Amino acid sequence: MNKWTRRGFIGTGVLAGGALVVGVAVRPGNQVGKLRGDVATGEGDQLVNAWVKIGRDNTVTAIVPHCEMGQGVHTSLAQMLADELDADWSKVTAMQAPADGFYVVPDAVREFIATWSLDAPRWIEPTYNGLFTKVSQLGDALVTGGSSSVRATGQHTMRIAGAAARQMLIAAAARKWGVPADEIVTENSMLTHKASGKAGTYGDFAEAASHETMPQLPPLKDVSQFKLMEQGIQRLDIPAKVNGTAKFGIDAAISGQQLKYAAVKAPPVPGAKVETIKADTAKTMPGVLQILNMGDFVAVVADGYWQAQQALNTIEAHYSTTANDGLDDAGLRARYAKALDAAGDKGGKVLAAKGDAAGAFNGAAKKVTAEYQAPFLAHTAMEPMNCTAWVHDGRCEIWTSTQVPLMARSAVAKALGIGAGDVTVNQLYLGGAFGRRLESDYAVQAARIAKATGYPVKLVWSREEDVRQDFYRPADTSRFAAGFDAGGKLVSWNNVFTQLHDPAGAWDASQYDIPNLSIRHAEADMHLRFGSWRSVDHSQQAFFIESFVDELAHAAGQDPFEFRRGLLGKAPRHKVVLEKVAQMAGWGTPPPAGTTRGIALVKAFGTIVGEVVELSMSGGRPRVTKVWCSADAGYVMNPDGFTAQMEGGIVFGLTAALYGGITLKDGAVVQGNFNDYPMVRMNEAPEIAVEFINADTKVLGGAGEPGLPPIAPAVCNAIFAATGQRIRNLPIMGHFA
Amino acid sequence: MNRSATALLVALAIAGCSKPAPDPVEQIVVRKPGDPAVTVPTPAARDATAVGKQAFAASCAACHAVTASAPAGVGPTLYGVVGRKAGTLPGFAYSAAMKGSGLTWSGEKIDTFLANPQDLIPGTAMSAGAVTDPATRQAIAAYLTSLRNGG
Amino acid sequence: MIQTKINGQPRQIDIDPATPILWVVRERLGMTGTKFGCGIAQCGACTLHLDGKPIRSCSTPISEADGKAITTIEGLAGPDGALHPLQQAWIDAQVPQCGYCQSGQLMSAAALLRDTPRPSDEQIDAAMSGNICRCGTYGRIRKAIKAAAGIAAAPRAASAEG
Repeated sequence: MNKWTRRGFIGTGVLAGGALVVGVAVRPGNQVGKLRGDVATGEGDQLVNAWVKIGRDNTVTAIVPHCEMGQGVHTSLAQMLADELDADWSKVTAMQAPADGFYVVPDAVREFIATWSLDAPRWIEPTYNGLFTKVSQLGDALVTGGSSSVRATGQHTMRIAGAAARQMLIAAAARKWGVPADEIVTENSMLTHKASGKAGTYGDFAEAASHETMPQLPPLKDVSQFKLMEQGIQRLDIPAKVNGTAKFGIDAAISGQQLKYAAVKAPPVPGAKVETIKADTAKTMPGVLQILNMGDFVAVVADGYWQAQQALNTIEAHYSTTANDGLDDAGLRARYAKALDAAGDKGGKVLAAKGDAAGAFNGAAKKVTAEYQAPFLAHTAMEPMNCTAWVHDGRCEIWTSTQVPLMARSAVAKALGIGAGDVTVNQLYLGGAFGRRLESDYAVQAARIAKATGYPVKLVWSREEDVRQDFYRPADTSRFAAGFDAGGKLVSWNNVFTQLHDPAGAWDASQYDIPNLSIRHAEADMHLRFGSWRSVDHSQQAFFIESFVDELAHAAGQDPFEFRRGLLGKAPRHKVVLEKVAQMAGWGTPPPAGTTRGIALVKAFGTIVGEVVELSMSGGRPRVTKVWCSADAGYVMNPDGFTAQMEGGIVFGLTAALYGGITLKDGAVVQGNFNDYPMVRMNEAPEIAVEFINADTKVLGGAGEPGLPPIAPAVCNAIFAATGQRIRNLPIMGHFA
Repeated sequence: MNRSATALLVALAIAGCSKPAPDPVEQIVVRKPGDPAVTVPTPAARDATAVGKQAFAASCAACHAVTASAPAGVGPTLYGVVGRKAGTLPGFAYSAAMKGSGLTWSGEKIDTFLANPQDLIPGTAMSAGAVTDPATRQAIAAYLTSLRNGG
Repeated sequence: MIQTKINGQPRQIDIDPATPILWVVRERLGMTGTKFGCGIAQCGACTLHLDGKPIRSCSTPISEADGKAITTIEGLAGPDGALHPLQQAWIDAQVPQCGYCQSGQLMSAAALLRDTPRPSDEQIDAAMSGNICRCGTYGRIRKAIKAAAGIAAAPRAASAEG
C-alpha cells in the first residue's frame, strides 16, 4: 500500500472581504475513504478535508466534509473546531463541504473556488505562497475504523484546523500591537492583551492572519481546557428539521427548470436483464412523457412522480433467466451448510488461532455445540433512494443524498462517458442512510435517464424498489463448538461462519480469556448484493457470539453476567463496561415481576458497549420494556449526541432482531414495504438509559454503529431466561407468530 | 460502515476499466412537454374494464395483487374476489369485522364498499379506499369482476 | 378543479382528482416539508391535517380535500412564525436525528394534543404508532410530547443525557 503514502498539508487563503480560511489536507488511504474514495487520481494530488472560514463580521464557518444523516456530525465537528479556536459558539455555523474539486495544491484549490456557487462568497485572488506545509504525522493518525467522523476527522483534522487558525490570529495581533504572542489571550472570538489594554475580534485580524506562517503542528487542548468539547451542545440542523424547511435529496429543485419525474423498476432477480416490455396501458396514462427499457431497469418519465409510478405499475416486463432463478432460503442455507461441512473443525480461512481448539474440544469434559443463522436485512432508510440529474452541454449535475459524493461523481461520470470534472454533485440532507447510501446505483440511474431524455429528471424509488433492490446485510450461518474441562473451565472456542466483510475482527472473541481458540471463514456465495448495514459484520456476529456465550454460561451453571466477568481478566475496559451496565440495571437483584433480563457485551468501531434488556412475555410474545446501555468510547465529545446515537443503534438493532427478515423466493426478494418488513414503532419502543465511561482522552471510539450489536443477543438471552427457548435464528418474531 | 481500503482499491480498479453504460434498449416517446396531454377518454367512452384496470393501478394496486398466486400485500389478492365470501381467503389476516361481515362480494357490494369502507363494514382494516367518483367505482368493480375468469 | 385551503390560503388546483394530496403539495405547490416514505399509509411520513384530522396524504386523493382545509408542517407554527409548543419541545429534547420522519411525527402529535391535551402513555402509543422513525427517536418524541403537554416526566432510569 505504498502507493497510498499519506502526506498532510495545511493551507490558507483569503476570501473576498478579508476572511481567513484554513484547511488541513491529508492524503487518503484511510477508511474515511467512503467520502473521498476516488481521490487516487495520481501522485501529487491532495485532498482538502476540512476548512474553517473566519469572516470580517467575526463569524466562523466550519466547512464539514462529512454528510449529515442524523448523526449530528455538522455540529460535533464544528464544536471540536470551535473549541480549539476559542470561538464564540453563537457565531459559529457549519456548512457541508462541496463534493467538487477537493483536490488541492494549488490548481485543485482553484477548482474548488471556481465551482463554488450558491450563496457562498466569491473568492478573489487566493494566496497560497508557501503556505502548504507537510505534516506527515497526520495521515498516519487518520487510519482507524468506521464510525469515524468524530474520532478521525474531528479529533485530528478539525481540531488542528481550529488550533492553527487561532495561532495565526494571535501572531497577526502580536505583530500589529507589537506585543509578545504568548501574552495574548483568546476567548469568545476575541483577542486581548491585558497589559496594553488592546483588544480585537477575530474578524478584525482574519485577513492579516492569513499572511502569517502556518504552524505545522499546533498544540491541541488538554481535556481540562475544553470549553465546548464534551458539552451536549444543541444540534445546528434541528431547527430546520421541525418546521419543514430542511432540504433532503428528495426535495431538490433546480432553479429555473421544470423537473420531470422518473419511476424505475429493476429485474427482481439480481443479474437479470430486461428483455422486452409491454407498455400499452402505460402509454395512455396521464402525464406520461417517456417509457424506457434501459436494459438493466425499466423507467417511466412523467410530469409527476405519482403518474410515473402508476404507469410503471402497469408495464409488463420480460426478464432474462439467471442461474439463481430457482433459489429460495432453503437452497441458500444448503449452500452455506455445504461450505461449513467442508470446512469442518479445522478448515476454511483461519482468522484467529490460539492453542488447539479442535483438540481441546475433543478432550473436553463437557461439550456445547450450536448453529446460528441470521437473515438478509434491508436498510429501509425513511427517505427512499432518489436523485435529481440534469445532463446538458456535456456536463452532468446531480442533487442527491449520498454518503459518498466523490464516488457518486465518478460513477456518474463513468456511466455517461464524461470526465469526473464534468460532473457536479450537490449534497442535501440524508433522510437516513445506515450504509445504503454508500452505493451510487440510484445516482447512475438518474443520470442515465436524464441523458436519454434530455430532461432535468428527479428519480424517486418506490418503497418496494428500495426493499427489493438493496445492497443487503448478508444472510449468514455460524457454527460453534466449545468445551469445558473437568474443572468447569472454558478451554475451547471453535467457530466457523460463511460471511466475512467489514470491519476486520468483528468475529473476535479473544476478549474472553480462553486458552484454545479457532475462528474461521468458510466462504459461500450469495447472489444478493452485499451492502454495509449499520455496524456491518458486527450486526450478525454479535448475535452469534454473545448468544453462544450465554449458552455456555447456562451450560456451566453460572449467572451470564458473572460468567462473562470471570472471562474478562485480560480485558479490563470490557470488564468495567460490563460491571457498569449490570449496576445500572440492578443485575443481581430480582427483576420486576413478570420480567427477565438478558445481557450482552460487544466492542465495535473502537467502542465497548454493554447492554441489559428487561423483557416481559405478554400474550406469548416478547416485549422489551427497558434497555440499559453503558459505553466506553474513549472520550465522548458531545454527550447528548452520543446518547442519541446509542438510542438509535438500539432501536435499529431491536427492529432487526424482532422483525428483520428479507427472504427469497424464485431468486427474488419477497418483502416490499413496511407491511411485510415491519418496524418497531412507538408502542414497542423501550425506555433506554445510557451512561458512558471516559477512559481514554486520546483514542476515541465511534458512536453511530456500536450501540447496535449487543441488542439482539441481549434480547434473545432475556427470552431464554423467560422461556428456556434459545433463539438461534432471527428474526425473533418468527418464533412467536 | 466503511469498506476496507483493499475492497475500495479493488472497486476502483474495476470501475476504472468499465465502459459507459449502454444507451436505452427501447425508448418510447409518448409526448413532449408542452404537447397537449394524451387525451384520456372520459370513463363513459371507454370499456369499463380497461378504465377500471387503470383506476385500480392508481388507487388499489399498492396494497392488493390481482393474480391467484401473488403473496398477500397489505391487503389480500383480489383475484376471484367476486363470488368470494368476505374475509375467507386462506392465509390472510383479516380484521374481525371483515371476517364477521357475512357478506359475499359482488360488483355492487364492491361499489358500495369503496364508496365508504367503514360504512359497509365498520371496523374494517382497510384504511384507504373511499373512491368518491361513482363512475370510477363502478369501473373498478367491473375490472375486479373480470378477474374471476383470470382476466 | 379542486377548491381547498392550504395553511389558511384558499387554492384552486387543476389536477387529476385521483392524485394523492402528498404529490399535489410537494410537486404542484412546492411545499416539500411533507415526506414520501412508503406510499401505502404504513409509515406516517406524509401525515398532514385535513380539516384538523391527521391523514396519510400518500393514500388520500386530492378530491377528498375539495372544500376542506389542509394544514402541513409549514403551517404548524403560528401566523407570526411563533413555534408550535411541540416544535419548541422537539428542539429542547433534541428529538430529530436524520429528521425525515419528523414532519409527520409532529403533525400526528399536534393532532393528538389538540384532542387530548394531557395524553397518557397509552394514548401517545395509539396516536403515534402510525409513524415510523428509523433513527429510533421514539423515546425523545414521547418526552417532547409530555413536555409540550406540561406533563412532568415520569421518574426514569438514570440517564447521562444533557
